[in-house]
Amino acid sequence: MSTFTSRDIIHVDPSICKGCDHCTSVCPTRAIHGTIGEKHRIDHRKCVNCGQCLINCPFGAISDLSALDTLVQALNDPNKYVVIQVAPAVRVALGEEFGMQPGTNVKGKMFAALRQLGFDQVYDTEFAADLTIMEEGTELIHRIYNYAGVAGFEESGPLPQFTSCCPAWIKYAEDRYPHILPHISSAKSPQQMFGAIAKTYAAQKLDVDPAKMYSVSVMPCTAKKYECDRPEFIASGYKDVDVVITTRELANLIKQQGIDFRNLNDEEADRLIGSSTGAATIFGVTGGVMEAALRTAYELLSGKTLGKIEFKKVRGLKPIREATVEIPVKDLGVTVPVNVCIVHGLKHVNGIIEDVLAGRSKYHFIEVMNCPGGCINGGGQPIRHEMYA
Amino acid sequence: MKILKESSVFTRRQFLKGSGVLVISAVFMGIFAKVGFDAVAAQEDVVQKRVAGLYSLDEKMTIRKSHENPEIIQLYKDFLSPGEIKPVSDKAHHLLHTRYGEEVPGLIAELKKHPIEAA
Repeated sequence: MSTFTSRDIIHVDPSICKGCDHCTSVCPTRAIHGTIGEKHRIDHRKCVNCGQCLINCPFGAISDLSALDTLVQALNDPNKYVVIQVAPAVRVALGEEFGMQPGTNVKGKMFAALRQLGFDQVYDTEFAADLTIMEEGTELIHRIYNYAGVAGFEESGPLPQFTSCCPAWIKYAEDRYPHILPHISSAKSPQQMFGAIAKTYAAQKLDVDPAKMYSVSVMPCTAKKYECDRPEFIASGYKDVDVVITTRELANLIKQQGIDFRNLNDEEADRLIGSSTGAATIFGVTGGVMEAALRTAYELLSGKTLGKIEFKKVRGLKPIREATVEIPVKDLGVTVPVNVCIVHGLKHVNGIIEDVLAGRSKYHFIEVMNCPGGCINGGGQPIRHEMYA
Repeated sequence: MKILKESSVFTRRQFLKGSGVLVISAVFMGIFAKVGFDAVAAQEDVVQKRVAGLYSLDEKMTIRKSHENPEIIQLYKDFLSPGEIKPVSDKAHHLLHTRYGEEVPGLIAELKKHPIEAA
């Protein structure tokens, strides 16, 4: 089973590994074998491809499979129409590779750089994050209606509903807790929604043959490389997302092409499937998907406009957070208390899953992200080399 | 003396050798623990700055709710559920929803049997 496949994303270089054992302490699934002084190796059956070991290795001994060469070939191929999407977390970290402070917003420069790199259309994963909220939020409403006994929603899945954006979490659930799968939202992640829409709707509107469209994604995440290669993501009739590169790889590409990133003028994403909202922006942080879903679910269910749109109770970096949001549901004529929970770090999710399986859980909606802090601290983000200086 | 020597577990040489190994490994573990600790603290600081970056970006956006994104509204009205905004329509289900675990092979077979109508 431990044969090398293209879906095994994370690898330890035994010639560089010093056996310091730091990686085993950050691995959420105990997938790394080895003790102090030994060369460590990854058990790919357990690995969820999150890359936490990679960004935390003091010796730079761990790397992720790169498809940058394939991407450069596609950009140079006149027969390919190359579109790109960029995840929310990339825009507040990419600047670090060019000497800027963590958290600096380089959204405008990033879109300008992508245009200079020669992409035919420069889009935004945030558009697809908004689409995810529409689909996943509606699915949650249907599950709540089914639970409340409203006729017509019998086909809906059980409560609580778990979020489905994080591919490391999905693989973990599939590997360890198959009985929890009916609780996970059937909505695809924003990356895969974007891919399916690009090669159908966008191809149609742009009058481009979807067979010639090449769909690229920039992600703060190494597990997204695994996700885009999952064989079921062919809803458009083609591979929905052709290739994923990380924030680090985008920075390398910009440097290789000699683009003076710091001095670029701000540009915006292309229209059609490129506009986004603040709700989509916060998808990159733990609690963000929950807050975005609450903003929409509250307004759609109550028919009222939220006075204050921030749900501060779901924010913060505590590994497990919970809140109750009272939503006046117009169609039912009652106020429903919705119990939500946010978990980041897969180590903390087991107890929550076991409560759900045992029928003890009080929650209705649970957000899970593998990486501590959320996607902003994903395995594809810039590595802070000075930490080890 | 002879009795004492026979009852001792280590010879003097073995004892020195053993303690040397212990001291050296303790020093190494200390160094790695410190590297790990500092790195975690530094990483937390970076995480907090990136989190703050995203929240302040949210505050600067003109539209801050997903259902108000005009291009999302257009996508539903023009394509996913023609003429209306109806999430989880048949087309939305085909393109935007998936299945997990043992249900994946069945989904792949269905997608191949009923491909989305050609644009």
